[in-house]
Amino acid sequence: MSEQSKDLSDPNFAAEAPSSEVQSSPGVPAGVPPSATLAEPQSPPLGPTAAPQAAPPPQAPSDEDDPKALLEAAEEGRAHQAPSAAQPGPAPPAPAQLVQKAHELMWYVLVKDQKKMIIWFPDMVKDVIGSYKKWCRSILRRTSLILARVFGLHLRLTSLHTMEFALVKALEPEELDRVALSNRMPMTGLLLMILSLIYVKGRGARESAVWNVLRILGLRPWKKHSTFGDVRKLITEEFVQQNYLKYQRVPYVEPPEYEFFWGSRASREITKMQIMEFLARVFKKDPQAWPSRYREALEEARALREANPTAHCPRNSVSED
Amino acid sequence: MGAPRSRSPRPKGRRVRLAAVPASAVRAALGRLARSHMQGSARRTGIMTDVHRRFLQLLMTHGVLEERDVKRMQKHCYKVHDRNATIDKLEDFINNINSVLESLYIEIKRGVTEDDGRPIYALVNLATTSVSKMAMDFAENELDLFRKALELIIDSESGFASSTNILNLVDQLKGKKMKKKEAEQVLQKFVQNKWLIEKEGEFTLHGRAILEMEQYIREMYPDAAKICNICHSLLIQGQSCETCGIRMHLPCVAKYFRSNAEPRCPHCNDYWPHELPEVFDPEKEREPGISKSNKKSLRSRRH
Repeated sequence: MSEQSKDLSDPNFAAEAPSSEVQSSPGVPAGVPPSATLAEPQSPPLGPTAAPQAAPPPQAPSDEDDPKALLEAAEEGRAHQAPSAAQPGPAPPAPAQLVQKAHELMWYVLVKDQKKMIIWFPDMVKDVIGSYKKWCRSILRRTSLILARVFGLHLRLTSLHTMEFALVKALEPEELDRVALSNRMPMTGLLLMILSLIYVKGRGARESAVWNVLRILGLRPWKKHSTFGDVRKLITEEFVQQNYLKYQRVPYVEPPEYEFFWGSRASREITKMQIMEFLARVFKKDPQAWPSRYREALEEARALREANPTAHCPRNSVSED
Repeated sequence: MGAPRSRSPRPKGRRVRLAAVPASAVRAALGRLARSHMQGSARRTGIMTDVHRRFLQLLMTHGVLEERDVKRMQKHCYKVHDRNATIDKLEDFINNINSVLESLYIEIKRGVTEDDGRPIYALVNLATTSVSKMAMDFAENELDLFRKALELIIDSESGFASSTNILNLVDQLKGKKMKKKEAEQVLQKFVQNKWLIEKEGEFTLHGRAILEMEQYIREMYPDAAKICNICHSLLIQGQSCETCGIRMHLPCVAKYFRSNAEPRCPHCNDYWPHELPEVFDPEKEREPGISKSNKKSLRSRRH
């Protein structure tokens, strides 16, 4: 049923340059009726994608006047280098097929996010959209719509340059939702351990310091662990790839040494207060045993609260977003 | 959407539970139902609030969750978004969400672990006919290793495939050549990601894998795949009658023969030769013994 066989039985499928426009909708458009019923598949609100897309014409940046339009322009520039712009494209697919593609894309994005993998636009085109490339804008738009309405997630273009997307929670309040998870997420514990170490030091943590701390958990760089597997690979590669940690060479030091910093994702997802609470739990001390850090955590928490004043208002309907 | 509508319509059947309401209202409601039926299968009876959305997000994040955690998660979502509302019964809550998900071909599916009968939940894609969730995580040769292991498991009598037998197939894998050492690690990756369970050097499918891939397995291996005589779902591990060969899940056996001193095969009535298993009883709140062993098998790689 999927356009690209997800069995990966054809790994040589050419990743064609995504020459069609791309837009990520900024959320549920205000004009959409707030009922939770999804529109019947036969009447997509994006009508004009059907007929006039015979060839990707050089349009001026479209309705949403935002940086995503730059992506379009960039793509169009690239597409124009080949003189194929005048060729008539294939017949437009039935709306139902576009809808199905949107559903496939939705699932694809959800699973990528679940696995904490990068959602990369060229991958989206190769793995899901395939020959429907020309209609990828409407497919993307519909997918964003569904994700916002049903999951409360925004599909955001995080980096125009690298064409990466991310699923951002659109619900307040944001938290790590430690709910049912405290003792069932050993990964978090490991990560929090390292992040707290870096945080408490106030600067990067040398790899040797990190291993000293991990020794407490019985983890060694050369030993495989039953849960974590190759710990060194996990912390120097996987956590780094997922942007939870940065692993950099210490300058001017011979022989070469490396140190860890907080990654951008950790800064986004994990609050200082969580770190303080973690430390308090681990060391069985009060968080205020680290007074300057605790003060920082308080300030950050206040700043977050001020940025999200609606945190405690219960909502019963689709938000205006 | 109609006043006397029940809060938890089931997507299949579309029955409406009617409380004590005037006949005119009933007729009006039924009339609305009939009209929307005529609008086609696009009728959605569920309402999504932020409570449901957060629930879905969390369920998706965790991949698979035990019922106990799901209930806790549901309470958490209510607490966050709608403190004063009465919490729906979990089954109704999930049916409500599923009625919205129906048009997207995804569903919150409930399953039961084969070895000890714990209920688990996962969000599954119904439209898939391949192991699409796994396809993103693993390389071509790794996926093929899983497929080989899957075939061995399905063909086996016990529902387990030995590590040796799986590793012997390493030469037949598609894609990049894989050494046995590497294959061992890949198998461990499958265990960590909850696709396989390992017991004493043998591998079987994790409850999550069965939940997500049941459709795929029944379509791809219609002859080899075994079915439970009681619940008619896919069966990997279970007990079988030595006379007529029918099979039953361990939890199904426990339920069917509950407090029966002389268990007999439901099909051929012969004496049931196996010991009746002890399985998880959802009535009992905490099972410290079982939960500890379950923690081991539910270790996850997510954070």
